[in-house]
Amino acid sequence: MVRPTSSIENRKTASLLILLVPVLLILSWLVKLQIVNHAELAEQSENNRIRVQPLVASRGVVYDRERRIIIDNRPSFTLSIVPAEAKRDTTIPNLAALIGLDTADVQKRLRKNMVSRYQPAPIMRDVPFEMVAVIEEQAARFPGVSIQMEEVRRYTPGLGSECFTGHVGEVSQEERRRNGGNDYRLGSIIGKKGIEKHHDGLLRGREGTAYIEVTASGQSRGPYEGKAPAPAVAGADLVLTIDNDLQHECVASLDEFCCGAIVAMDPRNGEVLAMTSYPGFDANIFSTVIPESLWQVISQDTTHPLLNRPITGLYPPGSTSKLLTLGAALEEGLIGPSTFLTPCLGGYQFGNRYFRCWRPGGHGSVSAAGAVEVSCDVYFYQVGLKVGVDLLSEYFDKCGFGRATGIGLPGEEKGLNPNSAYYDKRYGKKKWSRGLVLNLAIGQGELLVTPLQLAQFFCGLANNGVVCGPHLIKSIEFPDGDQVSPSNQIVWKLPFSPRTLEILLEGLRLVVEGRNGTARHLKNNLYSLGGKTGTAQNPHGDDHSWFVGIAPLERPEIVVCAIVENAGHGSEVAAPTVKRIIDAYMAKKRAAGAVADLGRAEDE
Amino acid sequence: MLNYRDLDWRVIGAALLLSLIGILLIMSAQHYAESEYHQGFYLRQSLWLLFALIVFAAVVHLPLRLFDVSAYIFLGITVGLLVLVLLVGSSRMGATRWFSFGSINLAPADMAKLALVLALSRFFAYTKLPPASKRRLAFTAILTLIPVALILKQPDLGTSLVFWIILFALWFWSGLSPLYMILILSPLASLVAASHWLAWALYFAVLLTFLFLSRPGLSFSVLVVVANLAFGVITPYIWNRLADYQKLRILTFLDPGRDPRGAGYQIIQSKIAIGSGGFWGKGLLSGSQTQLDFLPERHTDFIFSVLGEEFGLWGALVMIILFGIIFYRAVRIAARCRSRFASHVTIGAAAVLLFQFFVNVGMTLGFMPVTGLALPFLSYGGTSLVLTWALIGLIVSADYRWQEY
Repeated sequence: MVRPTSSIENRKTASLLILLVPVLLILSWLVKLQIVNHAELAEQSENNRIRVQPLVASRGVVYDRERRIIIDNRPSFTLSIVPAEAKRDTTIPNLAALIGLDTADVQKRLRKNMVSRYQPAPIMRDVPFEMVAVIEEQAARFPGVSIQMEEVRRYTPGLGSECFTGHVGEVSQEERRRNGGNDYRLGSIIGKKGIEKHHDGLLRGREGTAYIEVTASGQSRGPYEGKAPAPAVAGADLVLTIDNDLQHECVASLDEFCCGAIVAMDPRNGEVLAMTSYPGFDANIFSTVIPESLWQVISQDTTHPLLNRPITGLYPPGSTSKLLTLGAALEEGLIGPSTFLTPCLGGYQFGNRYFRCWRPGGHGSVSAAGAVEVSCDVYFYQVGLKVGVDLLSEYFDKCGFGRATGIGLPGEEKGLNPNSAYYDKRYGKKKWSRGLVLNLAIGQGELLVTPLQLAQFFCGLANNGVVCGPHLIKSIEFPDGDQVSPSNQIVWKLPFSPRTLEILLEGLRLVVEGRNGTARHLKNNLYSLGGKTGTAQNPHGDDHSWFVGIAPLERPEIVVCAIVENAGHGSEVAAPTVKRIIDAYMAKKRAAGAVADLGRAEDE
Repeated sequence: MLNYRDLDWRVIGAALLLSLIGILLIMSAQHYAESEYHQGFYLRQSLWLLFALIVFAAVVHLPLRLFDVSAYIFLGITVGLLVLVLLVGSSRMGATRWFSFGSINLAPADMAKLALVLALSRFFAYTKLPPASKRRLAFTAILTLIPVALILKQPDLGTSLVFWIILFALWFWSGLSPLYMILILSPLASLVAASHWLAWALYFAVLLTFLFLSRPGLSFSVLVVVANLAFGVITPYIWNRLADYQKLRILTFLDPGRDPRGAGYQIIQSKIAIGSGGFWGKGLLSGSQTQLDFLPERHTDFIFSVLGEEFGLWGALVMIILFGIIFYRAVRIAARCRSRFASHVTIGAAAVLLFQFFVNVGMTLGFMPVTGLALPFLSYGGTSLVLTWALIGLIVSADYRWQEY
């Protein structure tokens, strides 16, 4: 059989050309993937195999001024099951028996929390250490059970410190958005209130990153060697100005009452020595998942334990602000220290209204300091009329009322300092009576202050008119050993001349040491105490009882401001409370002095 | 006895190298597998290679005439096996393709490829009908349709395409003018064009112009037009008849991103593996896509991705050159053979290897759909390897006996 050669030669050539088509196609795609797109695909390949695992930074510890712990961290254990390693007939039944759950419950949690067969699915959080010990010892009975340790915030109980420590919680979507989402992962812990929130950036430190090589199904193959892990940097520790002993004293002294607040400050530098809101709550409950039932109890409690009274509680200052009224009048030359006004006969007629003095019998004629001593309302009605609404408001403003103190806590209230513009707005122009000033002069009416503002004002009086803004941070200690003290101390002056201050302080002294002083029962031989009582009328119930004390008067070191809600006269309730705290402070100081003297004696 | 020095050692050497590369890649692909069974795949493949080499030697030693005379009987036996596998075969992932003997699975479809190559070659070698005669075209098409129908029933779309490729290659080699090839295949183009009425109208205008200018005969022209109309109309019907997995494969092929965790996942991971290999590759056992389980089916259908990742472009080039040697030699041998049967068998065998090579590698590179066609020599699988070596045996035998009629 002979075939034309040309035909077979043509087909051979054609076949070889056809052969080139698939080969060239494959070659061009290979070049496209392996040369042109190589970098991009190599990166995708790396992303495939590397799981970025955050290394949580240890949150900073918070100490009191003597380095006693206020907040630290405790280990918390989470029980998980790695599904790929679990054995059907042993793992789940044994674990269920240990933690006291039904087998079905455990299975349900496993299904709910399972990400992949190789990643631990959490079954129970914050399990007691005894259970962890059992699992570690009898590991063979619990195949596939793993234990993760994480740190949980621990607040020293009994300090009543929630009003400034605040608490932490899991970061919310809103908070992540606000922070750009970079620093906080889903499930990150963030400060929600108080110092925890205000200094979150310092306390939280910086998360590290570990690079783990994983298989397609998520099984870990150990650390990825191509990229060194970035270690976590622990948060900075904070040393507060707080004295835990005084905190305990504050809680104990308010224990017999329903509700109240105490602020103790060092007037020389603005350090807050103690601050408490009573009743408080246990901040530890927010560290782990808070049970709904407990949340209901706390949030619906009529004593409002979640209310932060020292910085957000708003009260009329009552007679405690009479010093300000008097100071304004003296400073403006409207009265002199010995100007005698219309004597007090138990009340004062203004227009068609009769304003009573707290003492029905009246006080007769009193001097400026004497009016403070006996807290004569009639005297201050007349002073208030001389000063007027707007000037009085100006002085309130200059003394720090109506604006936040800048203590460095989130959510601080400004209070309310009304002036004529305010009344015009509220009641309409000329629709309000000048008689309002009589109420303002004795710290009643629309005027609202926080206990912290009042403490700050008295600190100014005690410190020659120089107000050192209240603050809580004594020093910040970074993990690398650096130690810094906050330098942004706020310092300003009260609008009173030394002469005026002298009269006001004399009034404060007479309140305790004067024959007719409203707090004369506090007089003692151990130290000199000054102060001012206050009884704030409360439209919702019994009067609030105020007292602000200063000691020792000749060189003041401590100012304590206390309010006890619905407790009646300042002299009867708040005054002994304040004295108890100042007593504790003085006793401690004497003890320290004695030790120091002893030390000196031994040196000699 | 054969004169071994006259055997085509270029083809044998290329085939042997490809087989050894395959075993190396299978070892790498399953090196970190969880079970020892998987880790032992490369040993099993080595044993299969030994068996395949024995089959190869037998094919080379036997006279070609033996295959010639027994071609139809062989096709009859394999068709019987294809029927049998549908009745008693074992099923995996919705397909009935294998006879299971313990841990050994035999796929009769592989044998059917060989049988069809032999049967069609025998027909083309002795027929007196002119290349474009309707009876000749129809008979060979029906001969092909028998195994295709049985394999589509399994179902296995990819493998059934191999049989059509054998037919087209042998049509071409037996002298059918490319013009007829184009016209015969035109209904497939109609199928695609029918997705939009405007495209279909344009396509028909081109087709009719082409028919008018080339004048292949009136009855043939009418047949082509009717077939084109029919295919255009039945497109939606066929689409609805496709199994879900077939639809998904076609859709995934058109847009791999549409289902990144499902069928598209394989293609995406394969592209990442090959692309991340770059020019030099990541090295044996160092391909993260391969070793960390990201590559699916990596010892079988996606074995080329392992090569691309661990040995890079140069490794792929070596493989392409080895395949190229086999294809090039096959065309040269087919053109030289005096026996029409041997010549056709060589082309048919080369067509099977080339088509599987192209579709499989094209799939791993992402420009061909996922068909489940193995890469000859390299993919794990005993029957595939034995068949491949049997085809190589036929090519080498045809070369050795090129002077025989």
